[in-house]
Amino acid sequence: MDYSILLAQAVLNGLVIGVMYMLMAVGFTLVFGIMRVVNFAHGEFYMLGAFTGFFTYVYWEIPFIVCLLIAALTIGILGMLVERTLIQPFRSDEMSGMIATLAISVIIQNGAVLLWGPQPRAMPDIVTGTLAIGPFSFPWSRLVVIAAAALIFTAFWLFMQRTRLGRAMRAVAQDTETALIQGIRVNYIYPLAFGMSVALAALAGALMGPVFSVSPFVGLTPMLKAFVVVILGGLGSVPGAVVGGLLLGMIESFTATIFGSLMSDILQLLLVILILLVRPAGLLGQREA
Amino acid sequence: MRGFLKVALLSAACAVSSYSASAQTLKLGVLATLSGAGTAWGMAMQGAAELAAEDVNSKGGLEVAGKKYKVEIVAYDDHYKAADALTAFNRMVYDDTIKFVVGPLGSAPALALLPVSTENKVITMTMAFTPKALSADYKYSFRPVIPSDVFSDPQIKWVVQKLGAKKIGGLFPNDESGQQVGAANEAAYEAVGAKFVAKEFFERERVDFVPLLTRVLAKGIDAFELNGNAPQTAGLLVKQLRELGFKGPIIRTGGDATADILKVAGKDATENVYVHQPINTDSPAIQEYTKRFETKYKTPLNAFSPFFYANVQMVFAAMQKSGTVTDSDKVREALLGLKDFETLLGKVNWIGEAQWKSNQQLDAPFYVAQLKGGAAQVVAKCTPKVCE
Repeated sequence: MDYSILLAQAVLNGLVIGVMYMLMAVGFTLVFGIMRVVNFAHGEFYMLGAFTGFFTYVYWEIPFIVCLLIAALTIGILGMLVERTLIQPFRSDEMSGMIATLAISVIIQNGAVLLWGPQPRAMPDIVTGTLAIGPFSFPWSRLVVIAAAALIFTAFWLFMQRTRLGRAMRAVAQDTETALIQGIRVNYIYPLAFGMSVALAALAGALMGPVFSVSPFVGLTPMLKAFVVVILGGLGSVPGAVVGGLLLGMIESFTATIFGSLMSDILQLLLVILILLVRPAGLLGQREA
Repeated sequence: MRGFLKVALLSAACAVSSYSASAQTLKLGVLATLSGAGTAWGMAMQGAAELAAEDVNSKGGLEVAGKKYKVEIVAYDDHYKAADALTAFNRMVYDDTIKFVVGPLGSAPALALLPVSTENKVITMTMAFTPKALSADYKYSFRPVIPSDVFSDPQIKWVVQKLGAKKIGGLFPNDESGQQVGAANEAAYEAVGAKFVAKEFFERERVDFVPLLTRVLAKGIDAFELNGNAPQTAGLLVKQLRELGFKGPIIRTGGDATADILKVAGKDATENVYVHQPINTDSPAIQEYTKRFETKYKTPLNAFSPFFYANVQMVFAAMQKSGTVTDSDKVREALLGLKDFETLLGKVNWIGEAQWKSNQQLDAPFYVAQLKGGAAQVVAKCTPKVCE
């Protein structure tokens, strides 16, 4: 295998995990930007999305795109309910809110172990085969993930920029009180934003299910990485989450390909620290006044 | 309350003793993992003991020195933990006065209870792969299953010669057992003239192996070794290797993972995969046993089960030969004296003197199978010396 193939492969791998980190981080940062809540249960919604995708695709045998929609909808609604009942009471208290999300994460994860067992389940590929361009070979299953993630993000971006609701969300993120004065019903915006955020995580989970596998513990790594991405991109910044996600994916892929798995974990975080030393507020974040 | 308990205990004891006096019962212990992660193995052992007992009981019992004994199975769960195994074993030895035990299952439980079984002269049939499970000190410890340090050398030799693989690559979990398996595999391959050109370690929770596999493939390997990886991980590795365009042979030297590899990677990706197979699934005797086991327990047969079934049959034969069901020294002598004993595994013997200074390792043929069209087909039959 020569270097050009190695390089192309590393870019593709970087993109696949990068878009997953991006989808995770965008939702994570959205909730933080709007609600000032660090949602530690974000990874568990990713896992629930993966399981929803798994069960609908394997047992109902319906088209994968419908499975994605079901995952986004059911987990999104579940997220809204969770926000309404468990997070809203702590709205004025960031620390208690954080602990509440930590508790939710433990409950969901252990519930999943009780319900579905700890063993990973293999999910069949949505598409098989590889795309061969000259000496390069790219598995379709991974190319589909990249394309789908790009589409999902575009839809999300258009919603935030073009719709009244999206504008209202951004207004709340900028200044809650001013938004209230303008007549935006913040009490509706919060659960909606939370639901959308976890729906994005669920979509990421359902998309990655066939590529990796599905188990109650699959949410752990994406959650930790989303945290790193959000800090790297700038807390609360959606473009920052996109740039940070793709960048972290690339760094991870290249360091693992060149230096091996153990060095990769060290180098990744070292690079993140270096970037933060130069830009303490993150790549696209703004210093808080 | 205390008085009541005493009376209850006393009457229970009377009931037990009068029962054993009249019915001539032979108790056979099963000490294995019957809940949690190791259940498939524990079930394999318990099922083997129960089926072997069923065989003799259906003929009115085991006939030893003119008396008929009904075989009764006493099974305890060790939860795959050394401490629990020891507690249960003590109960077997001191309360149930059992002299013959199918078990212990894991290496840690085995090491914990072998001193006790030796002191009390209890014959054990273990699944522990640790080299320490057999030794001159543990006179009553037998092992019916064939551990990896017996089967890996001949299998690797066969694979290297048959496939002409010179450059081997492999990924191993980054913990003590992974490091050990990695080192042992490297040595085994280099001993037969192949070279382990790419050896990578990863954290066990990792599921995306593509960057690491890309790195391994860049070294231009001829074959890939899956040993040391959990069954599911092995499946993911096969799947991702094929996605990266690797068409060469993939070899599974370690324990049985065929079902998971097929499930995770699918039929197409598993062509040209070679696996270790403890039993010959084409043999009519094994097929019959599989059917019997699966009808009774409603769970797929674990390949280790027939080994315990054979071992229990040998113990019964040894009892008949020595004319006792209580003197474990005499039964042990008779057991070791069984040569070319006919079982469902084929003709079996005892080996191990050179390796462990204990001739109490069962010697049965084992196999290399190739996966074709989603099923394993035996391609070579092996002895500890050679596969052909």
